[in-house]
Amino acid sequence: MQKTKYLGILVLATILIGGIGCATAGSEKSAAMKTEMTADGAKQAIAAAKAAQKKAASVSGEWRDTGKIIKAAEKALKEGDVKTAIKLANKARVQGERGYEQMMAQKDLRLPAYFK
Amino acid sequence: MKKILLMSVSMLTALVISGAVMASPEEDRAIFQKYFKERFPAVPTEEFANGVYSIDPVGRENWEAIEEFPPYETFIDAGQEMWEKPFANGKTYKDCFPDGPAIAGKYPHWDKKKGSVITLPMALNACLKANGEKPLKYKKGPINNILSYIAYESRGQVTNVVIPKDDPRAMEAYEMGKKFYFTKRGQLNFSCANCHLQNAGMRLRTEILSPALGHTTHFPVYRSKWGTVGSLHRRFTGCNKQVRAKPFKAHGEEYRNLEYFLTYQSNGLELNGPGARK
Repeated sequence: MQKTKYLGILVLATILIGGIGCATAGSEKSAAMKTEMTADGAKQAIAAAKAAQKKAASVSGEWRDTGKIIKAAEKALKEGDVKTAIKLANKARVQGERGYEQMMAQKDLRLPAYFK
Repeated sequence: MKKILLMSVSMLTALVISGAVMASPEEDRAIFQKYFKERFPAVPTEEFANGVYSIDPVGRENWEAIEEFPPYETFIDAGQEMWEKPFANGKTYKDCFPDGPAIAGKYPHWDKKKGSVITLPMALNACLKANGEKPLKYKKGPINNILSYIAYESRGQVTNVVIPKDDPRAMEAYEMGKKFYFTKRGQLNFSCANCHLQNAGMRLRTEILSPALGHTTHFPVYRSKWGTVGSLHRRFTGCNKQVRAKPFKAHGEEYRNLEYFLTYQSNGLELNGPGARK
């Protein structure tokens, strides 16, 4: 009886985690897909990347290469390579978002077990 | 009576909780030093002033050979010239630092008037500015010469960072430094503590991760990788870049507070800069 109960919880947890994962991946994918493969679309993607970078920086969470990736996206756009520009801008935007989330998740100092 | 009892219990609980969350700097240092004593029981505490060479016998052999003809010597000489050379107004660094040049043991310290941690490079630049001279760049260049000279003259002084109890801002700066130290950052999601506390002594590719205890005693260092002498904040920058985090400004608030926290943990260890590292 006890075993069945634990098994049930395990299955439920797996479904839930899987569901959240798919939903997150889905929203990322849809955000990228929504971007039109045009120069204006690329400009929007770069603007979104810059906003995410700024947000991450506001909590000291900017990653090393985000700025460089944005510059590369701008360069690609200037050269007329819209596809590459959008791809890079989206990559930079995700970095900015992750950097922000990373710092928010550690808002409060939690000392590791080895330092107690 | 019941009320008083309830209040006492809740106050005691609050005290226990706050104690668990925020240890005093003294408690932090005790945990820090105990951690390394337990992790490397054969290494005497004072040996940690030698950085990674306190725990890496092979690296130590190479280091001792390098120290026979120290690569930082010319930087010390250049620094001495800087120290002695009068500014345009005829004054010298000695006018700013009457106890100099052996002053490394006084830094970093809390400046109540400025409400900030003051590092040695900041004090040197403040001296230059006060005498109408152009401040030096923090990470590269001549600042490392004068830092080398001061470090050399300060050898044997003991790390003794004080967190004054009469100014809560000092404690705040210390806590900010501590938070920085334990915060995972960058694309690789590593904190300073992950490498230099949790995994000290482990291999990262071909290198052995140095222990955090004693990290601040030997700066500035001549790094073979750099081909020159560099400061502690340049090293902080490098570490942040390695975990793919955007580094902070040298001697900006983040790194100043980090230096304050980190140096405090090595209180009691001798200064032996400038050092030589790979």
